[in-house]
Amino acid sequence: MSNDEIFAAAYREHYWAVSRYVARRLAGHTGEVEEVVAEVFTVAWRRRAELPHAPLPWLYGVARNCLANAVRGQGRRRRLLARLGNDDAAHGRHITSGPEAEPPGDWVHEALARLSAKDQEVLRLTAWEELGVDELAVALGCGSRAASMRLHRARARLRSEIDRMGPPTAEAPHAPRPAATVDATPAKEHGHG
Amino acid sequence: MADELDLLRRANPAPADAPPFADRPLDPHGERHLHRLLHGPTPSPGRPARPRPARRGVRLAWGLAAGAVVAVTAVALLLGGPGTPPAVAAPRPLVVRADATPVSLDRLAERAEAAAADGGPALRRGTHVQSWSLGMSDDAPPITLPEERIVRWTADGRHTELVVATDPRHPGRPVLGEDEDGNPRQVEDGHVITDATYPPSWSDAPPASRPPHEAGRLRAYLEEAQRTPSLDTSRLLDAAALLLDNWTLGARESAALARLLADTGGLRPAGEVTDRLGRPGQAYVYETTGVRRMLIMDPATGAVLGLETTFTEAQPEYGVTAGDVMEYSAWTR
Repeated sequence: MSNDEIFAAAYREHYWAVSRYVARRLAGHTGEVEEVVAEVFTVAWRRRAELPHAPLPWLYGVARNCLANAVRGQGRRRRLLARLGNDDAAHGRHITSGPEAEPPGDWVHEALARLSAKDQEVLRLTAWEELGVDELAVALGCGSRAASMRLHRARARLRSEIDRMGPPTAEAPHAPRPAATVDATPAKEHGHG
Repeated sequence: MADELDLLRRANPAPADAPPFADRPLDPHGERHLHRLLHGPTPSPGRPARPRPARRGVRLAWGLAAGAVVAVTAVALLLGGPGTPPAVAAPRPLVVRADATPVSLDRLAERAEAAAADGGPALRRGTHVQSWSLGMSDDAPPITLPEERIVRWTADGRHTELVVATDPRHPGRPVLGEDEDGNPRQVEDGHVITDATYPPSWSDAPPASRPPHEAGRLRAYLEEAQRTPSLDTSRLLDAAALLLDNWTLGARESAALARLLADTGGLRPAGEVTDRLGRPGQAYVYETTGVRRMLIMDPATGAVLGLETTFTEAQPEYGVTAGDVMEYSAWTR
C-alpha cells in the first residue's frame, strides 16, 4: 500500500476516535470539533510518511498539538461567547453520555481540573482513550518508563484531590452513575472498524 | 470503593457508543475532507485547510475570523500606505426607520406565501453571500474582514467556490484580507482568497440535501442540520444562516422559512431598513444577553436578505464597544 492508501485507511478507521478525543477536551463546544479534527488530519496528511503501524496514539499526539493551537487562538473568543451565553455550554448542550445517564461526573471533572495540564492529559488518555503504557508513550512523545511514572504520579494526585473533596465514593449521593451502570466496561477506544 | 481511574472512566463526556461521535462510517463532512486531502487542492504549509462552506452560525464565523488575526498588529494594517484610502473602517449597525408601521412577521409570511403561489424564483444549490466578520486577537483591537463568497454547483455534482476580499460599500478601495498564512493584511479590492473546484460529492443529510418547502418539514430539516433536538429563536437564526450559506432559496422555500420564523416567535418587528447592499427591507430583532440579532427580510417576497449581529454592551477587555457589529451577512442570488 502507498502512503496515501495507508493514510486513507487510518483516516476512515480513526476519524470518530479522534473526534471524541477532541470533543472530550472541548466540552460544551461541539460546534468546533469538526474544524479541529479537520486540522488534525490535515497535519497528519502532511506527515503521512511518519504514520506508524498503529496510528491512533500518534494521531492523538497530533490532535493534542492542534488542540493547543486552537485553544490559544480561540480562547479569547470562547471566553467572550461563553459570557454572552452564545454557546453550546450556555444553551445546555453539553455532551452527555445519553439521556438515561446523570450528568457525567461533574465532581470528577472538578477534581481533574485541579491537576496540572500534563497530569490531566495522561489521565484522560488512560481513562477515556484507554491507552496502555506503550501507547501513552507514543501519544505523549516520551519513553514507556516515563509514561508509566507520569501516570502513577497523576493517579496519586487525582486520588488526593478526590479525597480532599469529601466523601465521593461509588456509594456517595453524588456518585456519577446509577449502580447498575457502574460496572459497564466501555469498548476499547480504537476507532471504527 | 472505585479507584480514581474507574471514577474518571465513568465521567467520560464522549463515550464511544454515544452520538454524535459514536463509531460509524464517515459522514459526508469527513468523506469530503478526506477526498480533498487525497485529491487536492493541497493545503498550504503551516496552514491547515479549513472547510469554509460549513459555517454554523456565529460561532464558526467568529472562529474563521479569530483564527486569522493572531499576532498581527492592527495599527500596521490600519495606517496602510499612501494612495487610495482603504475601506477598513468597521461598518456601523443598520439604522432602522421606525416611522413607518412595522410589518408583522405573520403578515410577511402571508405575503411570501402569496408570492410563492404566483411563481417566483426557483431553489438553487449554492450561495452568494457578502459578509463582514469581526476578528479578535489577544494583542490587537478587533478588525472587520469583508468577504464575498460564491458557491456554484454543476449537474455532475462538482462545485466551485470563489471567495474574494471586497466591500461593496467602497468599490475599488483596498480592504482587509488574508495572506497565505491566514494573517490579515491590506489587499486590493477583489483579492482572491479562495478559488477552488471540488470533485463530485453527494449527501442526503441537511444542509447538503435539498431543503423542503413546507414549514413543519423545514423545521425538522433545520434541526437535523443544526444537530439540535429543538429550535428556539436564537438557534433558528443560526439554522437559517446555515441554510442560506448552502442554498439560494426559491420562493416556496423562502415562504416556508418566513412561516417558520413567524410561528417560532421571539422576533420583534422593528421597522424599515436599507441593507448594506442598498436593498429595502423589513427588520426583525431578537435581543439576547449582550447581543442583538437583526434579520432583514424582503418586504414583498419575505426572502431573507441579511442577518446582523451587534454588541449591545461594551466588552472593554476584548476591545469591543456597544454598537460594534460582530457579524453581518447579506445573501443575494
